[in-house]
Amino acid sequence: MQIAIQGVGVVGGFGTGVAEMRKALLSGSSNRSIIQLSNCGDPLEIPAFRTDTSRLTEFVPLKALRRIDNFSKLGLLGAYLALEDAGVLAEGKQERLGVVIASGYGASGITFSFLDSFINDGDICASPTYFANSVHNSAAAYISIMLGATGPSSTVSQFHQSVPSALQTARLWLSEGRVDRVLFGAVEELSELIGYAWCRQRGTTDSREISPLLTGTESAVPGEGAAFLLLSRKEESQKGYCFLDQVITGRHLKPGFIASPQDLLVLGADGRREKGADYAVLAENATVACFTSLYGSMPISPAFDLAIAALMLKEGKTFASPFSGICDFPATVAAGGKALESQRVSCLSLSDDDGFGLVTLSKG
Amino acid sequence: MTYSPVAITGMGCICAAGNNLGDSMASLFSGTRAPVPPVSFTSNHPINYPVFEVHNFTVPADLLRTSALGLHAAREALDDAGLDRELLSTLRVGVCVGTTVGCAISNEMFCREYRSVSVPGMGPLERILRSNPAAVIAREFDFSGPCQTIVNACSSGTDAVGLAASWIRSGACDVALAGGADELGRITYIGFISLLITDESPCKPFDVNRKGLNLGEAGAMLVLESERVRTMRKKKARSFVLGYGSACDAYHLTAPKPDGAGLKNALAEAFACSNTDPAAIAFVNAHGTGTPDNDRVETMVLAEVLPGVPFLSTKGYTGHTLGAAGAIEAIFTAACLELGKIPANIGFSTPDPELGGNPVTENTPFSGTIALSESLAFGGNNSVIILGKGEV
Repeated sequence: MQIAIQGVGVVGGFGTGVAEMRKALLSGSSNRSIIQLSNCGDPLEIPAFRTDTSRLTEFVPLKALRRIDNFSKLGLLGAYLALEDAGVLAEGKQERLGVVIASGYGASGITFSFLDSFINDGDICASPTYFANSVHNSAAAYISIMLGATGPSSTVSQFHQSVPSALQTARLWLSEGRVDRVLFGAVEELSELIGYAWCRQRGTTDSREISPLLTGTESAVPGEGAAFLLLSRKEESQKGYCFLDQVITGRHLKPGFIASPQDLLVLGADGRREKGADYAVLAENATVACFTSLYGSMPISPAFDLAIAALMLKEGKTFASPFSGICDFPATVAAGGKALESQRVSCLSLSDDDGFGLVTLSKG
Repeated sequence: MTYSPVAITGMGCICAAGNNLGDSMASLFSGTRAPVPPVSFTSNHPINYPVFEVHNFTVPADLLRTSALGLHAAREALDDAGLDRELLSTLRVGVCVGTTVGCAISNEMFCREYRSVSVPGMGPLERILRSNPAAVIAREFDFSGPCQTIVNACSSGTDAVGLAASWIRSGACDVALAGGADELGRITYIGFISLLITDESPCKPFDVNRKGLNLGEAGAMLVLESERVRTMRKKKARSFVLGYGSACDAYHLTAPKPDGAGLKNALAEAFACSNTDPAAIAFVNAHGTGTPDNDRVETMVLAEVLPGVPFLSTKGYTGHTLGAAGAIEAIFTAACLELGKIPANIGFSTPDPELGGNPVTENTPFSGTIALSESLAFGGNNSVIILGKGEV
């Protein structure tokens, strides 16, 4: 069954909404900022792609947001933007809407706040509000509550395979007729301790340039954000972006998996040294693009690739891959502003344990 | 859409009631339980709340306890199904695991060291990143099918089984290992105490004096198998997944909707997709946490949708095992269908006149072939699975 992408909602380092994402794609630049951390009491700064959720008040009264943490705010903003983009926000309660959320790390900020609450003041002072908000499905819950979505709701946490894995669930729900629409979203929050752990694992360079298509080099910059897609069955779709043809996940992907050499392959390579060579092998002889330099590295990066691929298919043209670094992949990097040679775009993401996710979108 | 039944050909579990399914069922039917204050960790909270811990279990140094519990149950389930590594290597096998803490990026020691202006060791976080419960099982057996860890709080295990059945029906895989795993630890222990929904004595599901839940830990896995593979190897089913339904209350982050609308929707979907007449349900393995709100809403819905159908909660034997609960309760349900009897709802002694009904108070035989297990969760999730008696 073909699934239609009816709306896109994004918030990331590039800004908020499809228009700002498109602007960043055309300019090839994004808003990288600095986050302040503590290293043994000493200040530590790292570059990062942060987000601004202030536009959420266009959809939800400020008062209703007062107990909602940053992770769920990101999810809510992505959700509302996708519904607005699809033109269905005014429909009221969404009783036949399913909610599927992907997140690698979950609500890490409020989780650490919960730990702080009893580390600082003893076990009896643990914060019930922080604990309740720290559950992985809190963003999905708030989205369902705010939208009146009484269909099924599920949250998937598969680290770097969270997005394709969750997308399989969304597709299945629509195929089985469990729901009429699925609000599929991916949410990641760059909390203080996630940032610190990132530094410890990957080192710090405040002027780091991301070189996603250069093997053997660590150049990743952490990011956060949310990317949502409103999905429906093709026969029930109105004008939207494109169609979701297939979602394949598994382990041990071999080269030669692309249906046609003309198909554009969007790579999830994000400057993590340990994955660069794997992407290079699988991209051999393909026409590729890579956009991680616009939103940074995070487990749910593939959702941003899907949003960009959907936009390319809607507009029928490519966007230039926004990185200035050297490419040593045995592949052709697609030029920007050209007509898409194929009606299909595939997005590839790789994870540890030889896992992969391959999502193919088409013009239909 | 009406679903075709999906065969369950193997089951395995580990919990405080026993380190395998046989021992666990023996505990249930002998009416024994032994919740005590935590042994594996300490708390400076003035009240020692009882918990259901798994004992005599060794966790590999590179894994979270949660994933080790899941792996332990997976091995038992695969053995039970008669699937060895050689045969598995020829099949497309998926893994679907529900959990709550299995992929939470939280470690108290790391956080304490960070706050105390020292250099935290990265070991705890690296262990979490290596221990995604579904990925651990897929890696151990080199499975290449779909792999998913579901984090829908306390309905995760039920949702994992329901989703894996869909994978089998859609042809996404030949065999699926589905279930749940969750360990007991200080963070969840303190968290649930902070919510004021834990009982300082052994839990009493559906009793008028119930005060809340006791936490537990468990791993529980089921082998779901396609008819093509099952026919090929002439394997009889221990049970069948007949139907699954889930719906969100869209009401509150931690409290069930007072009118039970989400649970009713989930039940309606499960009955419809399995083409099951509610009158055919022999018994219900209820969520039955022992919290005042859960038991009130659940019995009200059962009285309305399944009046007179015997029900029980097995959490009095295992504690609330969170992400594993739905899976271990599905396994107990299937095992009870095999045995033709259900255990007494331990902890219940005094009826609550405000509830819609009372659970069974002694081991009770039944004659039907279809039963139901349900889970209610934080986030307003409600999930229901309908199981049928197998061929064994």
